[in-house]
Amino acid sequence: MSRRAVRRRASATGPGEFTVPAVLCFALAVYGIAGGAAAGEDATTAVGVFALACFVVGVWWPIAALAFVRVSVTAPPDASVGSVVPLRVTLVGRGRVEIRSADASDPWRRTALPATVTIGHRPAARGVVDTVRIQLRTSVPLGVFIRIRTYSVALPRPMYVAPRTEVRSVRSGRAPEERDRRRSRGSGIGEGDAVRSVREYVAGDPARLVHWPTSARRGGLHVREHEPPPTVGIAVVADLSGGRPERAAVDAMSVGVAALAAGDRVWIGTHESGGPASGEVTDRRELGRRLARARSGAPPPPPAGWTVHRAGGEA
Amino acid sequence: MSDATGPGRRIMAVPAAVALGAVGALAAERMGFPALVGLGGGAVAALLAVLALPSVPTRRSVLFLLVAGGLGVLRHAPGSSPHRSVLLVTWALASLVTLVLLERLGAETTTPASGGAPLVARRREVARFSVVLAVIAAMTVALGVPFATDHLSRGVVAGREPTVGDAVSAPASLRTAEELDMTTRPRLSDRVVFTVDAERPDFWRGETFDAWDGIRWRRTDLRVFSLRRPSPTTVLVPALDPGAERGEDLTQTYRFESGFSDLVFAAPSARIIETDRYLRARADGSVFVAGLGANAFGEGAVYTVTSRRLASTESDLREASGADLPAWLSDLYRSVPTATPARVARLAERVTAPAANRYDKIRALEGWLGENTTYSIDAPTAPPGRDVVDDFLFRSRIGWCEQIASSLVVMARSVGIPARLATGFVPGTRDPLTGRFTVRERDAHAWAEIWFPGIGWQGFDPTASVPLAGEAGTDGSWLPSLRRSAPALAAVAVLVAALAFAAVVVVRRVRRRRARRATWAAATRHRLDRVGRRIGRARRPDETVGEYADALADALGRPEVATVGTVLDLEAFGPSGAGESERNAVDEVVASLEAVKGIP
Repeated sequence: MSRRAVRRRASATGPGEFTVPAVLCFALAVYGIAGGAAAGEDATTAVGVFALACFVVGVWWPIAALAFVRVSVTAPPDASVGSVVPLRVTLVGRGRVEIRSADASDPWRRTALPATVTIGHRPAARGVVDTVRIQLRTSVPLGVFIRIRTYSVALPRPMYVAPRTEVRSVRSGRAPEERDRRRSRGSGIGEGDAVRSVREYVAGDPARLVHWPTSARRGGLHVREHEPPPTVGIAVVADLSGGRPERAAVDAMSVGVAALAAGDRVWIGTHESGGPASGEVTDRRELGRRLARARSGAPPPPPAGWTVHRAGGEA
Repeated sequence: MSDATGPGRRIMAVPAAVALGAVGALAAERMGFPALVGLGGGAVAALLAVLALPSVPTRRSVLFLLVAGGLGVLRHAPGSSPHRSVLLVTWALASLVTLVLLERLGAETTTPASGGAPLVARRREVARFSVVLAVIAAMTVALGVPFATDHLSRGVVAGREPTVGDAVSAPASLRTAEELDMTTRPRLSDRVVFTVDAERPDFWRGETFDAWDGIRWRRTDLRVFSLRRPSPTTVLVPALDPGAERGEDLTQTYRFESGFSDLVFAAPSARIIETDRYLRARADGSVFVAGLGANAFGEGAVYTVTSRRLASTESDLREASGADLPAWLSDLYRSVPTATPARVARLAERVTAPAANRYDKIRALEGWLGENTTYSIDAPTAPPGRDVVDDFLFRSRIGWCEQIASSLVVMARSVGIPARLATGFVPGTRDPLTGRFTVRERDAHAWAEIWFPGIGWQGFDPTASVPLAGEAGTDGSWLPSLRRSAPALAAVAVLVAALAFAAVVVVRRVRRRRARRATWAAATRHRLDRVGRRIGRARRPDETVGEYADALADALGRPEVATVGTVLDLEAFGPSGAGESERNAVDEVVASLEAVKGIP
């Protein structure tokens, strides 16, 4: 980030900033009034008073204008860290302002008031967000002073900010090739060890499944049909009490998303404000919400039979 | 906020050119060039700076022009150009529009927000802002300049030291003299000699003369008194001048634009003078600078005088009574040269015959002069050796102020009324911007002063446009009253603004309260919220009343609080609302919470 950009962002956190016309007006006011008074020259004093009026009004007007602007915001319920989420901002007031999300490096956007605008918001941290910060600025009418006001606006419903996701491959309880085969075949033969029944051979059935006694008895090839194996998935244990909790959350999210994408069942255990929380999640949004609520604390133990992936914990 | 370039370039050039053109005209007039030269030069320079430099951002060019205009105004505003006020106002308005337009164009370069409302049309917005700001600025200047002048201005400034050239080129009206030759035509130009900051107009008197020889005026009493320093210096009260002793104060601050003056001008009669110069006073109360011109006032010199004069009405003057002049003074001011033809006295007696008192006699003489003589600065002078008044009254009947005033004095004396000639300046024109009187060479004047018993010297002049004797109370400008009442007006404005703000706050609060308490449920919800806030657990915006009541019950350790939420939900969503008993129960619970101090 350039030095200029850093300076600009830093200045945006203050109540406002003076511009070159402000310096001009102020200097003219001071010199005019002081010089006019010293020389007994009323015309110079008048110029100074005029400049002072411009300076005062130029500072006061933007402050007053933003003091009467009311802001309300609605946000989608789900978001991810680092991804832009649209905020719908309703502005009530008069005049015109420029707006941006205070939590993002978004550029300023202009609008007249009243208006309902959509701006981008890039959450910087995981969690359940019930307020967002919106920045408005205006320099009407003289451009002497840019008033920047930051509003902390309560959301009507919380926004769950899930950890960001990284590309991961997961290993569930089955070998990958077997899982692939199961997904692609869909023959109904099953993969378990228990034999459910036999049926006539059809082209493509593996030879190892031929049930010879039945084939001999009935005079034609018959193959075994097996019961499917017990369904298992990934149990993600997110322990955010370690040294790098956010890293653990990202890890848990990434593994969970990858498992869900692979068709596996995902169980997640976390620690929330009410204590340990666990349960199976069926989609990415649910997973994200669970991890958004997760806090530092001991997660519950994973269920038996699931492939366990531990995210975080002791460093 | 952003840089205004592209389409805004052309429109920005217009107000910038007007502003710089006004400054150019101001500078040109001050330097003695035609205003149009400066106007054109400034405007063309601004247009070139904005339009012909595409590589320079418009905002930067315009800001440069504003800085240049501001510096130019500060440099040239103190001048005495004839159109100063108009040009200053033009500069101010054009600069205002430039700033408004610059801000607007900056906003236009920002990307519109998705779904945002379009901006108000540029022309409309700029016009609206400019008008509002111009009104605010005008009010501020009208109130602020007198305030700043009264509280910050120095009443004494040394100014530039006059050179020999300044002394030589100064008009006679700015130099002290022992005599006033009536056969010499005065120099009357438009050059500003000084400006006066005073509440009301008056004659700015320099000297008086009491001895008339038919051709020139002289002073009989040549005594001179040194006035002690330091400033302020109290002037000796002239003998038997009641107005100077118990009249109304009038403070004037003089600022010289002329390069030289050794006269200390003051409205009759000067009492206190604040200056850094050594002064001398004559027996008639007129004051001048000591040192034969070496100590004289130069350009930029400022001094302040407090004068006193009895404000008299016509009836005051008609009924004037009291101590008259001592015999020797009375004889002095009634004396008419023996060489003056007797027909002057006969004319005066004939004109004043119907009048019963001194005031009416003077009015009659003024009326006759007004009807039978003509004012003209181009009038021929009297032939050498001939009595100037006689020549004016019976031959030419055309002359300028000196002939007219001298005739009035001589005629008044002819009928036994003490009179003398005063010279100085008429008030000049009041600058609408600053409220100061601008006095030019052509405002040099001579008028008659008539003695009234118990009142003192009063000015009379048929050609003057100033409040004369018998016209007390006329002012003619709203600026002095505005200046007097500026602090009160400002206080009232602040008070009104504060009251309006308080009223808005109160109305909003009452409305909110009413809305909250419109129903039992709303009132109960509000009470519950208040209890929650007291314990530091305010309701979140996303929290329902039921959830909130549950949370409060947990926080307070009082399970019955949870029923408040249940009943409120029932009231809001139940088929027939909450029952009376349930409401009462809730009221009891909430009341018990409210009654407990220091919950939990």
